[in-house]
Amino acid sequence: MSSYILKYSRDERVKYISHLDFVRLFHRAVRRADIPFVFSQGFNPHPIMTVAQPLSVGVTSDCEYMKVGFDGNFDEAELCKGLNGAMPPGYEIKAAKKINGKEIDLTKINRAEYIVEAEYEGSIDDIKEFLANKELVVMKKTKSGEKESDIRPYIYDLKIIDRQEGTVMLDMTIAVGSIYNLKPETVLKAMEKYLPEFRPGFFAAHRKSMTIDGKEIL
Amino acid sequence: MITLQDKILSKVTKPTRYTGGELNAVLKDPKSVDVRFGFCFADTYEIAMSHLGLKILYHSLNNRSDTWCERVFAPWTDMEDEMRAHGMRLFALESGDEVTHFDMLGFTLQYELCYSNIVNMLNLAGIPPLASERGEEYPIICGGGPCAYNAEPVADFFDFLMMGEGEDLINEVTDEYARWKKNGKKDKRDYLEAIAKIDGVYVPSFYDVEYNADGTVKSVVPNNPNAKPRIKKRIMRDFDGAYTPETIIVPFGEVVHDRVMLEIMRGCLRGCRFCQAGYIYRPQRERSPQRLLGIADSLLSCSGYDEISLSSLSSSDYGGLRELTDGLLDMTEQKKIGLSLPSLRIDNFSLELMEKVQKVRKTGITFAPEAGTQRLRDVINKNITEEDILSSTKLLFEGGWTSVKLYFMIGLPTETNEDVEGIAELAQKVLGVYFGIPKEERAKNINITVSTSSFVPKPFTAFQWAAQNSREELIEKQDLLKSSIKSKRIRYNWHDNKTSYLEGVFARGDRRLSRVILRAVEKGCKFDGWGEHFRFDLWMETFEELGIDPDFYNLRERSYEEVLPWDHIDIGVTKLFLMKENEKAKAAETTPHCREKCSGCGAAVWKTGVCTEK
Repeated sequence: MSSYILKYSRDERVKYISHLDFVRLFHRAVRRADIPFVFSQGFNPHPIMTVAQPLSVGVTSDCEYMKVGFDGNFDEAELCKGLNGAMPPGYEIKAAKKINGKEIDLTKINRAEYIVEAEYEGSIDDIKEFLANKELVVMKKTKSGEKESDIRPYIYDLKIIDRQEGTVMLDMTIAVGSIYNLKPETVLKAMEKYLPEFRPGFFAAHRKSMTIDGKEIL
Repeated sequence: MITLQDKILSKVTKPTRYTGGELNAVLKDPKSVDVRFGFCFADTYEIAMSHLGLKILYHSLNNRSDTWCERVFAPWTDMEDEMRAHGMRLFALESGDEVTHFDMLGFTLQYELCYSNIVNMLNLAGIPPLASERGEEYPIICGGGPCAYNAEPVADFFDFLMMGEGEDLINEVTDEYARWKKNGKKDKRDYLEAIAKIDGVYVPSFYDVEYNADGTVKSVVPNNPNAKPRIKKRIMRDFDGAYTPETIIVPFGEVVHDRVMLEIMRGCLRGCRFCQAGYIYRPQRERSPQRLLGIADSLLSCSGYDEISLSSLSSSDYGGLRELTDGLLDMTEQKKIGLSLPSLRIDNFSLELMEKVQKVRKTGITFAPEAGTQRLRDVINKNITEEDILSSTKLLFEGGWTSVKLYFMIGLPTETNEDVEGIAELAQKVLGVYFGIPKEERAKNINITVSTSSFVPKPFTAFQWAAQNSREELIEKQDLLKSSIKSKRIRYNWHDNKTSYLEGVFARGDRRLSRVILRAVEKGCKFDGWGEHFRFDLWMETFEELGIDPDFYNLRERSYEEVLPWDHIDIGVTKLFLMKENEKAKAAETTPHCREKCSGCGAAVWKTGVCTEK
């Protein structure tokens, strides 16, 4: 058995696929590619795979990661090619790396960069004014329900990269992962609260990168 | 770029129902084809994508270079609301294009309770539902599938209907369409006259229906020289050689039958008298194990599915079962693929097979005795005895199974209270079989489920003349059964009789019902097969408003002399044979199955399948 880290993207065509559906879809792709999975032991054996920080439905990404166990040794480039031939259009396996032990620990992923396009009413000028707040307290979903939380320490970067009539394009780097998980919509909610002129509406998000302390994984 | 589609899809449940793009879905350049065909299924994505006929016809049409066949399903109500709010029309899954000006839309009529959805889908597409109100600028609307055999209640919506198996027929009508379109699509009538000559094509507008004073049908007569007095169903005579796709679309979300389905045979040789499928698909024909193993291998490797299921009306009657299952087991064990075997009779062979297939899990087993007493089982010609059931369940309990489902119908012709109580007695006897096995040889926690559905007489069965039980009668029988079940280990589930009532009206309805459906849809009826949307009150209100008595269609017993609304359709099995079967039913006499002895049903005209076995 060998463990591999796979980096993959998903585009507009498949962005509504839920995490669970993705897991089933990937199992099938591996069967089609004729790569032997390692199965878990137990009552109902299933292929071993872990997706790091599953994406929300509706979000596209250049940088998803998963760890899978395959039975045998595969050339990394061949593995990508085989899987890409078997995935539905819209997904691309961009890189694969065989790992020993915990040399890459996907559970340590703690930062993600998003491009967020948001419709809004009102106006938005200077994002610095927003970031100058000492704290940004908003209601945030946690495992135990909705709670107030100061998200300011978990916004590492936030800038406006484009502005059209009624829509603004933001580039944000924020915390993800098990220690603190922030979503783009929560940042928008804080902007709405702390920028009185800004009333965001519908938005679309794209995950551009995920890192461990700013360090690329693959 | 934020699109309208994003805004809509972000609000609805299961957005992947609407996005298309699944593996093996067929994409074409619309400019490269002559015919854009929408294969329509008037129910949700999950139901539609479980339908074998869709898979066959979709790929068959897409094998043509002149045609692009796409899927068109009923959006769930949340999606429909969003679509209507934003002026978005019904669209095809592959291209996302509106179907309003497609060339052809073909609906599969799988059950009567989808009729309101057909009209609703046409509304949502901006297409007038009445064929008479559609000019050449709209698609040709056609239909097929089991309910097409009596599509009279929806006949006014369709330009034409196809009787029987569609593999060849759908290509013939598409050929004609392409020809008509090349000649400038002048008059829809020209196209319909051209296809009316093809066997199996029924153009409702080419027939005049007259009624007697008592409301029964007086006659159905062609009003066009191209229309045949009787329309003969089509079948694939060479079923083994018939087209079957070697690829399959793999849905993103879970669908009802989320697996490879291997159609091992078509038709059934048993002759259960209530069963429409048993008559309309005659004669029973099989596909060779060699061919099936090849198909199974292609479908599994192109889909990556981890489960395969045999599909047929009665798998135990398939001649090459051992050879097929041996071959499949070789394939599936090695690749860790699950094999499911529905419609199997329980005997030593099938038990051994199930042991091999379900190494760990012993899931529930379903039996369908259909009726509670031997007398009533003889009436319906369900050739299964109490002894069969008890000896099979004994084998199951000894093999470690503890969950048994017993499926019955109530409201069958000639049924008495004794027959209803017989259901409870039979379940009690099955429980007795379990307790008769020494404790150490049986698994713990026995659980028996009794389910009843309400019998709905269907056209082209021995019971096509019978009266359906009223809702009050059915409720009495359900209550009687409830009070007859004494053990806490036996659970009873019953089917809602309101949906069965409406199903009964449409099953044997005539053309006068089209306007009821139109009106009911105006009032908001849709998804009648879904409890949460079924509005029985609105349907009854509509019947009342239009002065149509629904009981006339379902609760009335017909005489043999009466012209039935579907008499101009020829399924091979003769009306005379069905009458004889009905008479034998009244006398509780059974009829042997086709392999035991030919009973001369009429299907032998096709000269194939079980009719030509030596």
